[in-house]
Amino acid sequence: MAAAAAAVPAAKLEDAEALIDSVETFIFDCDGVIWKGDKLIDGVPETLDLLRSKGKRLVFVTNNSTKSRKQYGKKFETLGLSVNEEEIFASSFAAAAYLQSIDFPKDKKVYVIGEEGILKELELAGFQYLGGPTDGDKKIELKPGFYMEHDKDVGAVVVGFDRYFNYYKVQYGTLCIRENPGCLFIATNRDAVTHLTDAQEWAGGGSMVGAVLGSTKQEPLVVGKPSTFMMDYLAKKFGITTSQICMVGDRLDTDVLFGQNGGCKTLLVLSGILIIPFTLNSSASSAEFASALTLAGCLLQV
Amino acid sequence: REEIFASSFAAAAYLQSIDFPKDKKVYVIGEEGILKELELAGFQYLGGPTDGDKKIELKPGFYMEHDKDVGAVVVGFDRYFNYYKVQYGTLCIRENPGCLFIATNRDAVTHLTDAQEWAGGGSMVGAVLGSTKQEPLVVGKPSTFMMDYLAKKFGITTSQICMVGDRLDTDVLFGQNGGCKTLLVLSGVTSEQMLQSPDNKIQPDFYTNQISDFLTLKTAAV
Repeated sequence: MAAAAAAVPAAKLEDAEALIDSVETFIFDCDGVIWKGDKLIDGVPETLDLLRSKGKRLVFVTNNSTKSRKQYGKKFETLGLSVNEEEIFASSFAAAAYLQSIDFPKDKKVYVIGEEGILKELELAGFQYLGGPTDGDKKIELKPGFYMEHDKDVGAVVVGFDRYFNYYKVQYGTLCIRENPGCLFIATNRDAVTHLTDAQEWAGGGSMVGAVLGSTKQEPLVVGKPSTFMMDYLAKKFGITTSQICMVGDRLDTDVLFGQNGGCKTLLVLSGILIIPFTLNSSASSAEFASALTLAGCLLQV
Repeated sequence: REEIFASSFAAAAYLQSIDFPKDKKVYVIGEEGILKELELAGFQYLGGPTDGDKKIELKPGFYMEHDKDVGAVVVGFDRYFNYYKVQYGTLCIRENPGCLFIATNRDAVTHLTDAQEWAGGGSMVGAVLGSTKQEPLVVGKPSTFMMDYLAKKFGITTSQICMVGDRLDTDVLFGQNGGCKTLLVLSGVTSEQMLQSPDNKIQPDFYTNQISDFLTLKTAAV
């Protein structure tokens, strides 16, 4: 029996110009690539300008569902980056886009264990929803004979990162999935940890999803990375093939796997775990783009 | 009282069985029962129901501290479950070297009221598994920890035991894993239909309606 082939080791980026010329679109993960918490990572504006000047399409994909794409647009603006809302694909948007793609009935409801971003995107897409942050104040009084009601019209439970997470929400989502026939269990992402602040990592959407998985024993449908839903969506939207795309991210199990699953080129940046103290000058050339990334690699090896 | 083995007791008994150091602490995502048993066994603990009121303010630069002396996180059913607890447990497991992740049970649902089923310990455990990607050590059923413990305590072999329960995936599996006889009663969550469904892979040795059948069932005299 032949031994399983080992994965081909990653090549340190030497010739950035060749990579840039070989693809039409760059997909960037946001946390750890463009920004860290609320701080812009050094050299990013110049790099994006360089790519745009070479006619490359830029797309920003994030598993963070706390904001809608419109709210992310504002974050980019605040950081001094000119990014169009249409270029942003957050997993909050992906959840709404997925429901649209399956013609989720408008007379059905969505129960949300998650934050504003998901609610806003569902509203924009014309779906009715329940839950969200306000359920964070609800408690259970487990008195004998107490019965917890749930809306029988809920046809999907969407779960993403939720800092207001509590037992009420877990139970409500559980009742919907277990008792409403055909109720979908959709996860915006299953990230174990997420960069909510720049100081440390925080338990991510994977924990909210894990809770509902634990009580329903049902695997969720994941719309965020590394599922290829968002990549197939944007490839279709922009009329490109995935071989014309390079995915740039800082996480192997979400970003790089997303790219590989989608069949596009993948570039790992090390800026997610290390603050790189370098800057590109304003007329950055491809060579400096390459050396900046290579410098990052060298710093990590020291 | 010595005849009762709750999974809260099992958590404390497990920590004793591995000589968990008394100078280490236990972070509890769970209720009073676990706290009481840990206290009885002489272990220091943090967390429990009072952490149910704690919230996170995710302001830039905010840093959440955690006790570096926590050597085990014990997770069980917790109606006061919230993000603070998930994050605290996650930090301990990810950052304190050798920190254990112990689950009292992974039950998907539990009968907290007689009117309906409630999301069980399996959801709290699932949350921490989701953020740490670490499998927990389960001390409750269907893990055989409690059976091995009581077999040793009472000086019996498991073949001398019959496990009686209403759930296939916790009670009957517990009995089978332990190597004892198993009797399913239909007075709880499992129906005859579920038992006989082609999707069901767990078959007890016997099944009956309820335990009082012991009083009445007798093979007819030939």
